[in-house]
Amino acid sequence: MRERILCGAALAVVVAFAACGGAQQSGEQGAERGGEDGDDPAAGPEAAGPEGEEAARELMAQWRRQHPDREWIEKEQETHTIVPPADNSDLVGNPQGATYARITERDVALWERETMRLVADGSRVFHSADELGSTIAVSCDMCHPDGSNTHPETYPKFQVQMGRVALLRDMINWCVEQALRGEPFAPDDPKMRALEAYILAQRSGTELGYGRR
Amino acid sequence: MTRRAKPKSVESKYHEERESLFEGLGRLDRRGFMKVSAAALGAVAAKGLTYTPFSFLPVTVAEAQAGRSFRFAYISDSHLYTRDVNDRFVRQLLRAVDDINAMDPPPDFVLYGGDLAQLGQPEELALGAQILRSVRVPVKMMVGEHDWFLDMGDEWQDLFGEPTYSFDHQGVHFVTLNSVLEEDFWTERNMTPMERMQTVAGLDNTIQSRFMVGAEQREWLRRDLAGKPPETPVIVFSHSPLYKYYRPWNFWTEDADEVQAILRRFRNVVVIHGHTHQLLTHRIGNIHFHGMLSTAWPWPYAPEGLPELTIQMNRANPFDPNDGLGDGAVDVHPDGLVDKLYNLWNRNPIEVSRTYTVSRGRRDVPARPNLPSY
Amino acid sequence: MTRRAPCPSRRAPVGRAVAGLAVLGLAAIPAARAFGPYEADELSDDRRAPHGAMSMDAQQQALAELLEERDVSEVPPPIDARLWELMVPEDNPMSAARVALGKKLYFDVRLSADDTVACATCHDVSRAFTDQRPTSEGIGGALGKRNAPTTMNAFLYETLFLDGRVESLEEQAAFPPINPVEGGHPSREAVVAAIADDPEYRRMFQQAYGRAPNHEDVGRALGAFQRTLVFLDAPFDRFLAGDEDAISEEAKRGWVLFNGKGRCMSCHMLSPANPLGTDDEFHNVGVAARTQDFEQLAAQALATLRREGGGKDTIDRLALETEMSELGRFLVTTNVSDIGAFKTQGIRNVGITAPYMHDGSMRTLWDVMDHYNKGGEPNPYLDGGIEPLALTEDEIDALVEFMFTLTDRRFAEQNQRELEAQRRIASRERPFRDEDMAMRRVLPFERRVLGEQQESPR
Repeated sequence: MRERILCGAALAVVVAFAACGGAQQSGEQGAERGGEDGDDPAAGPEAAGPEGEEAARELMAQWRRQHPDREWIEKEQETHTIVPPADNSDLVGNPQGATYARITERDVALWERETMRLVADGSRVFHSADELGSTIAVSCDMCHPDGSNTHPETYPKFQVQMGRVALLRDMINWCVEQALRGEPFAPDDPKMRALEAYILAQRSGTELGYGRR
Repeated sequence: MTRRAKPKSVESKYHEERESLFEGLGRLDRRGFMKVSAAALGAVAAKGLTYTPFSFLPVTVAEAQAGRSFRFAYISDSHLYTRDVNDRFVRQLLRAVDDINAMDPPPDFVLYGGDLAQLGQPEELALGAQILRSVRVPVKMMVGEHDWFLDMGDEWQDLFGEPTYSFDHQGVHFVTLNSVLEEDFWTERNMTPMERMQTVAGLDNTIQSRFMVGAEQREWLRRDLAGKPPETPVIVFSHSPLYKYYRPWNFWTEDADEVQAILRRFRNVVVIHGHTHQLLTHRIGNIHFHGMLSTAWPWPYAPEGLPELTIQMNRANPFDPNDGLGDGAVDVHPDGLVDKLYNLWNRNPIEVSRTYTVSRGRRDVPARPNLPSY
Repeated sequence: MTRRAPCPSRRAPVGRAVAGLAVLGLAAIPAARAFGPYEADELSDDRRAPHGAMSMDAQQQALAELLEERDVSEVPPPIDARLWELMVPEDNPMSAARVALGKKLYFDVRLSADDTVACATCHDVSRAFTDQRPTSEGIGGALGKRNAPTTMNAFLYETLFLDGRVESLEEQAAFPPINPVEGGHPSREAVVAAIADDPEYRRMFQQAYGRAPNHEDVGRALGAFQRTLVFLDAPFDRFLAGDEDAISEEAKRGWVLFNGKGRCMSCHMLSPANPLGTDDEFHNVGVAARTQDFEQLAAQALATLRREGGGKDTIDRLALETEMSELGRFLVTTNVSDIGAFKTQGIRNVGITAPYMHDGSMRTLWDVMDHYNKGGEPNPYLDGGIEPLALTEDEIDALVEFMFTLTDRRFAEQNQRELEAQRRIASRERPFRDEDMAMRRVLPFERRVLGEQQESPR
């Protein structure tokens, strides 16, 4: 019985790790979300069976209640529509026997999970005037619900408001400074990366057409 | 070298002609001058100078002569934070009030289209109320979701009274609804009032429910309209569009069909709504729908569901925090149908005329955009 | 917010590594040469001309020292070759003969009815190719309603005049000679008649255009000449090209502010392909709103245009002679969106072309900063991009310092003197400064709506 319970705990560790990674990506939020905890359930050997699952679920639920921010990806997905990344499950297999081409279901899940973490983090920043550093309580979604009208597919282009050719990140920073009256991000700021990821994700499937006004 | 007398300047010629223009008018007051210069309108149109006026006086008077029976103005969706949080939105509401106060002749009343506050806080609503007190004509208030969901309308109702009411003006029956009620999504999530408010305040937040008028108000509406003959002109004010445009953003009223059914027996019904922050035109049978501009920020057009009759306004210039924003006026004709004026700041005003919706978009087509929403 | 790395793009947003910057004006410019202001009353009699200008001979001599000999049919070095094609009308390709004819006309007072006003009277070589007056003086001492823009680099504008009522230098040149408060000739024919009997002109027109003097070719020649007035070699250009020491640290801060908090770049677009620093658009920034009732003026204008037709001759005279001048672009388009809107002026050589704004109502660049810092003057047609900027005094100083780096190095001494003069004036008076508005303690439209007395809503 104890072994079965621990299976759930192992899962929880995965979730905890995921949450930490996400938190680190967006900077100081990591501290708020918990980071390393002393009371993380320890990993254990595999187990199965209905009772075990039930117990594991209960333990997981209890753990989640104690650590509500650990589920921030799910929460973000529940709160805002996030376009999922491309489905790679048709690639699973290794028909020609090359190492690089050996793709498992877990690979596909890992890719999806990691990609969504960045995009969901972008959604979180996109919808938060505080995260964006706006001094006038304005966030991106107020003019761009669901990332609409952000037209990442048109960059690089001559951005008339700036009088020069801009990349998407330049326009993001322009909006942060002008529309939000905040401090522009460094180009490699984790929040900038996340914002770019979310905006590009929301326009998935749109044809590229750089230079279009 | 050819020499000649100094030519008479345009200004002196102008003054001479103006004198003769005013001969017989008696008093050279401004209003009188405007009436006279209204005659210029025909000439302007004949020259192919096409623009739609707003408070631009000579044209305003000319329109009065073109058969409308009265005009009311509107301001909508100001989304005020307190001024220490965001001075921009406050300034923009002030600008709208300045526009309305400059209208000459003044409108009969002003409709405030809802979302006066951003987060429904007492300070935000009080600030809005104070600014709206400087409007020099009566203001009819409508409630929006941003005004409502912090305290479920308590503060707003203390300031402005019942959100659901009707009145008659110049033979037209006006009805104001609270169309932003939502099914309870907050109790099971143990949300605080502010969490509930912030959830509703996010247009693309998927947790909240859909807007609705609700059974109680529908019943009220049925009773309010009972006994009115079908030829009564009816104009309905609702914050959300009283039809189904785009569900994810609540550009939508869940029980719109039921409300429309109540209005169907009337010959002409006009619905003026806020919430969408854009130029928006729709017609379903006898019901003609017009959106209102926001004074806070413009929304892009939704990715699907845009009514066919709508001609988009150009997408806004992000440099200009006032672009795509403004206020406007509604010219009501004796049959109850309206010319809807969108007074877009720094752009030419756009008029969606009564004939445009009556002809289902074949006549008096407004100028099309060259920069639509992405 | 502690972990953000400093953003290099904020230091110099256009970036010094941008391809093409190196060509910006370093090669073909003669040695730097200083020009002082030729104040009319300091000039000896033989160097003084009517209306405060320097004599035409002295001006031509000065011009010869400014402009190096070059093949005018070639693209001027700092100008993008593809854009140059779009700037030169197909029916007026550049040639030495045309430039020579245009130059003669530019300095010829016979283009005015009383032989006192040439182009060079109000676009005086010794006064930064303008007259450095609020508004210009024409025949009989008549004052116009608008500030004379410099003809330096004017060929870069897409439209001419402050309301853009014409679209080429060729067309523009036709109007001042026949405007009653400028050249005062009764007609275009009279302008041609004033020079047509001069054998020198007959020879030069023949050489330039293969025909006798005529009005269209007067405009063409003046256009061709003005396309040689290229003054785009400023310290700022060297900074962009990679010379860190070309401008001061304060000016560099000003450049960052220009692109960021100051919001200048959105209208005064400045780039290698667009070196003038204008969007060629029309904006109501509220300069005229201090004194005007726009709606009343607009009503007057509509009535006048109806009576007289909307022709450009009429607009030209309304713009220079009447209060309707303040309507700006509206006179041209009758668009409500253009009421009180004037063309964004280029900012090249801005340090030496005071006074500023379409009516010359501001004496210093500090005044201009004060105007924008408080969000302009609220009026129903105010451009919404004009909003209070909350710039501090240090930031204003930096922006002004930056603007003085945009002066061509051939005017370096004049620029320095002007900077000091403006600083002196600004230290005494800042008539447009409004700290409460600039810092957003009082909001635009607030005084209009709530009145001066009422306590501000908080």
